[in-house]
Amino acid sequence: MNRTLSVVRLQLVNKQTYLWVPLLVLGGALLITMVIFALLPVEGIVGGGAQAPMWYFLVVGVQSLTLTFPFSQALSVTRREFYLGTMLTALLASTALAVIYVLGGLLEGATGGFGTGSIFFQVPGVWDEGWAGAGLVYLVLSFAFFQVGFFCATIYKRFGAMVLTTGLILLALLLLAGVWLVTRLEAWGRFWGWVAETGVLGLTLWSLPLLAVLALVSYASLRLALP
Amino acid sequence: MSSVIEVQNLTKRYRETTALDDVSFTIEKDTIYGLLGRNGAGKTTAMSILTAQNFATSGQVRVFGATPFENPSVLSRMCFVRESQKYPDDATGRHALRMARLFFPRWDDDFATQLIEEFALPVDRRIKKLSRGQLSAVGVIIGLASRAEITFFDEPYLGLDAVARQLFYDRLLQDYADHPRTVVLSSHLIDEVAPLLERVLVIEQGQILLDEDTDALRGRAAAVVGDSAAVEGFVAGREVIYTESLGRVTSATVLGGLSEQDRQRLVAADLDVAPVSLQQLVVRLTRRAAESAPKHKELVP
Repeated sequence: MNRTLSVVRLQLVNKQTYLWVPLLVLGGALLITMVIFALLPVEGIVGGGAQAPMWYFLVVGVQSLTLTFPFSQALSVTRREFYLGTMLTALLASTALAVIYVLGGLLEGATGGFGTGSIFFQVPGVWDEGWAGAGLVYLVLSFAFFQVGFFCATIYKRFGAMVLTTGLILLALLLLAGVWLVTRLEAWGRFWGWVAETGVLGLTLWSLPLLAVLALVSYASLRLALP
Repeated sequence: MSSVIEVQNLTKRYRETTALDDVSFTIEKDTIYGLLGRNGAGKTTAMSILTAQNFATSGQVRVFGATPFENPSVLSRMCFVRESQKYPDDATGRHALRMARLFFPRWDDDFATQLIEEFALPVDRRIKKLSRGQLSAVGVIIGLASRAEITFFDEPYLGLDAVARQLFYDRLLQDYADHPRTVVLSSHLIDEVAPLLERVLVIEQGQILLDEDTDALRGRAAAVVGDSAAVEGFVAGREVIYTESLGRVTSATVLGGLSEQDRQRLVAADLDVAPVSLQQLVVRLTRRAAESAPKHKELVP
């Protein structure tokens, strides 16, 4: 356990990766969005900038495997310690980001969109269940982006580019088959009804089993991955 | 002496090649080993499997009496920074050393600081901006300052200039004297590292060619130099691994120690005996093995 926590510290030795850059991305997106809001003569616009740090987490997920994993091997860290420590770090970083997101959202609500009357944080749907629900959605989504990046990098490292690409193509085909099936059953109405009924928070919770499968497969492939 | 590493019938096969072919050897405690051999001989593969960074196709590896794979109590006593080591993308040398400090129980920070100064490593520069030599220095500093009970150095001198290489050899010997440990140094600059080595393991085409004390190995061969006819007379019936002639002077490297009787014969024949360098010996034995390998295969029906 001690060494697993050391992996968290290893990941955080360079504060830039998990702390400064995500904050900079969020802050930058906020600043740019606010300038745009101020320039536009209308109110009530919903900006999509709050998701920006999540895309960066996708990259961090990839790099923590392709670059930090080989170095952790040189430091005699077991694959298990590396995996648990890295997941814990991602969870911590996602939590920190979610807290900032909630605080930003509350501040936005209190100041009328920082005086612009438009929306950066309080994206409709996300805040339906209050600030706690919104925080949870943001946390899970950030962590999910990291998890997907880490998963793809693990598959790449262990099985190579062919397997990863084939897998992604198969996944796309599977989704298309789902689309075809729903169209064939003329069930789009019911589908969107279910989505609306479940809500953003509900959908987020539905993604948890999927994330758990991703996490298990990542670990299984990492166990036999070469640095 | 007790052994810290035991390898039995270790085989590593890749799709096209066999990197290690049924290899068995042991590594003794508190000894400096030279792991010698040509590029692609299997040195890095062997070290990777011993540190559980890579996996054996078959065979058994025991380190401190246990399997190293996913075993923190064994792994934390070993350090293996590979020659083409990857580092976190944005990390500086200082970050890398701070990370290393977290995992090696015997890490010495003062020693690391001293080495940074001596190698003139720009610790605040991003690792991806470092030169090949500076990159090697990062690995060398981690290897030395970790003071792991078994430390592997994989061609640690790449890109280092002569002064820095000598510095590495000096610090290694000095620190080894103060803090005895097992060191496995893989190298193809054999003569340069020869003074450090207590024992030599030579790998060639995935097989152990030599596993011997350095002194014993040196005593196994001698170069007999002098008049060609006299040299030929003396070496007749002995195992000659190399001959070189210039005019009427011939130098023949013979295997097997020289007895007192041999020495008297040499004096009588006016022949000189020259020591064979470790590098020459290894090169010649390797070449001989390579030449005899196909012949050996032909004998097999």
